[in-house]
Amino acid sequence: MNTTVWLSQIQSLVSLGFMSLFLLIELGLAWVLLFFRLADRFSPGNAWMLAYRFWVRVYALAAILALAASMPVLIQLGSLWPGLLDRIGDVAGPLLAAAILTAFIVKSCFMSAMLFGQRSLSDTAYTAVVLMVAVGTTLSVLWVLALVGWMQTPAGTGFLNGEYFVVDWYEVVLNPSTGWLLLLVAAASGLTVAFMLLGVIAGRASSLPADDSGRQVFRTGAVIGLAAVLAYGVAITGYGRMVATHQPAKAAATAAYWQSGVQPDLALFGWPDERRGSTRALLAWTHAGGKWLGRDAEGRLLGLDHFSGMHPPVALTFWSFRLTLAVALAMFVAACGALWCMRRKYVEHGDLPPAWRRFFSGMTFLGWVAGLAVLCHVLAGQAPFVVNHTITFLEIAGPANPAHVAIGIAAHLAVYGVLLLGFMHLLRHGVQYGVVPVARRRGRA
Amino acid sequence: MIVDTLVELLGFSAEDPAFWMPLAFMGLLFAIVVAAAVLDGFDIGVGCLTLVAPGELRPRMMSLLSPWRDANEFWLFLGMGVFLAAFPNAWGSIMGQLYLPLMLLAVGVLLRSVSFEFRLRAPLDMQRRWILGFGIGSLATAVAHGLLLARLVVSYRSGGGYLAFGLFVALCCVAAYCLLGAAWLIMREQGPLRLHAVFWGRRAVRWAAAGAVAVSVVLAFANTGVFLKWSDGPQWSLVACLWIVLLVCFVAIELSLQRMVTHSDGTTMLPFAATLLAFLVILGGLFYSFFPYLVLDNITIWDGSASVSSLRLVLAAAVVALPVALIFNIWVYWRMFGLSRAPVPPGLNRTDS
Repeated sequence: MNTTVWLSQIQSLVSLGFMSLFLLIELGLAWVLLFFRLADRFSPGNAWMLAYRFWVRVYALAAILALAASMPVLIQLGSLWPGLLDRIGDVAGPLLAAAILTAFIVKSCFMSAMLFGQRSLSDTAYTAVVLMVAVGTTLSVLWVLALVGWMQTPAGTGFLNGEYFVVDWYEVVLNPSTGWLLLLVAAASGLTVAFMLLGVIAGRASSLPADDSGRQVFRTGAVIGLAAVLAYGVAITGYGRMVATHQPAKAAATAAYWQSGVQPDLALFGWPDERRGSTRALLAWTHAGGKWLGRDAEGRLLGLDHFSGMHPPVALTFWSFRLTLAVALAMFVAACGALWCMRRKYVEHGDLPPAWRRFFSGMTFLGWVAGLAVLCHVLAGQAPFVVNHTITFLEIAGPANPAHVAIGIAAHLAVYGVLLLGFMHLLRHGVQYGVVPVARRRGRA
Repeated sequence: MIVDTLVELLGFSAEDPAFWMPLAFMGLLFAIVVAAAVLDGFDIGVGCLTLVAPGELRPRMMSLLSPWRDANEFWLFLGMGVFLAAFPNAWGSIMGQLYLPLMLLAVGVLLRSVSFEFRLRAPLDMQRRWILGFGIGSLATAVAHGLLLARLVVSYRSGGGYLAFGLFVALCCVAAYCLLGAAWLIMREQGPLRLHAVFWGRRAVRWAAAGAVAVSVVLAFANTGVFLKWSDGPQWSLVACLWIVLLVCFVAIELSLQRMVTHSDGTTMLPFAATLLAFLVILGGLFYSFFPYLVLDNITIWDGSASVSSLRLVLAAAVVALPVALIFNIWVYWRMFGLSRAPVPPGLNRTDS
């Protein structure tokens, strides 16, 4: 394959991945913060308010990073893939404009009030602002997911002279993928945030005395974690069935199903070797895989040989899916463990055995792994097509010199590394010494 | 008059949405670019200047920028969004030619937005590093703007001479932003910071002027169409006017800065206003030279625009967003001009606000 194309794919995936890390936190934490505000209204004491004050600062960091990291993604949409909007501009233009507009309205009308206006608003008004931020962030993500989903399973459009045009906007937005992708992202952001709550509180318990606020947050994290794992299971199942129906190549690669028509085993583990056309060290559940594969008009199962080379990289698709499942399974066990630890009403999370503390502390950012793996499966699993069955990456790639793209990847990775370290440092500092209050007053400095 | 000629040329009627919608979006895009240059330009400039400022003045420079950061971050997003949604068929042809400068822009903007906000929340010993990050990000942004401008005016031709021209324009662009930032600091602040700003401004002004001349000359000589448009026909007086205004602006900046070396006590908006005017004239001139093309002599705004149904949708969204954007921006940019006023600590009687 063309060097520029795969370098461009790597760069896009890196930029999208970095943005998603913080988008997952932003999205999940926005709703958790709303829950903290509401819980504070209906319970005595200031435990929830203390939790809110700490986590709103973490939210601010994530929101800053998510917004800023979406700029490289937007720019690369043009500089790496100049042919894309020529072909799908009619669909992508309004959806991306809606996403940017929603983000703009959220940021200008509500986000500043949420981060800097707590003192000047009444409690109810402030809670309403927090609600609007959560709703607006979700809406903004929904527009982007509608576009991603449409590129996976195009619907409501016509294709003429290599260009898409919109026939029905409802079908475009509510295409077969959008719903499952939204559930997947919601569950992944729930997982990310839940395990951040658990990890931070468990990590803090080893150096600071336990308090009521920490206990409440730990319990919340455990409950959200369990709920999110279950939702994730539902979402992955639905997504898998949807892929089998609409994206048979991705389904065959995920299952490492090489030859059409043979008995479908459900491959649990192994190393798919694309050159040999078989899976090494295969561990399979015999005859159980038929449900997860696409079929042709006569009902025969479609294997990788059916697509004459136009299928995604098998090992990447195979393993990104198994990685996200394995992480979700580990999280299920951990969430149950956390609930088991908190089973008595007045147990201190400070009483957690050190092994458990280290366990949760180590899992703090595991949600990211699950999120990145599933992102990789959704996007890379569709290669070599960027819009399912019609437009390939090769068609839309730009004239950029491969060496320049390599420089670009290095520069992006360097900045991403610095910002990630900065985020971790600020989070650790905040956990250890408390958060810094930040003031910003209109027109005054 | 221009509209009539265009209508005739393209065979549209003036009421046809396919004719006026791209025009409306071009106007909107131009307004956003102007707003970004006026309202965000000094931000980039002050950011570049933090790299050369003495360490003890840097935190003050950063805090002076603080009230506008929330709004300034968004101009590039809005511009990109309008461009992408309204002109998808030109988006790829333009962006695809600009990989390296756009990469630099992406990295620079990312670094500076995050560094600024993280500095506010970082412990004291880390703040110096985030200020450095903000400076480097601002410098990368300014250089990227210069490279983009250079590539734009030579219609994306490449080769040895074009590279040298690009680097020269990048240098001048950094100087122009530094001039804007310095002029803004002169207006906002007294004391040692103003003295430094006067010094920086004097260093930058000639490079900025050289850049403006270089861009215009190359634009005219590299594109025959533009040269004809400037020299031929009834519009040459307008072009001459623009040149005179530009000259007067730069002379006024130079003289007022020179005077301020000895008389630096009174507040003055003159350098900032003159720099802004120069920026507006240059942007207006570029717009005039390019119109109605997005890529010179190749893609007009009508070739590049999206389908009418798609444009209608985006226009409806823009009509909702525009009042929000206007109100928000007026609200935020209140007191952007003139001497900075200190914030009132909470709990005190706010009689003067």
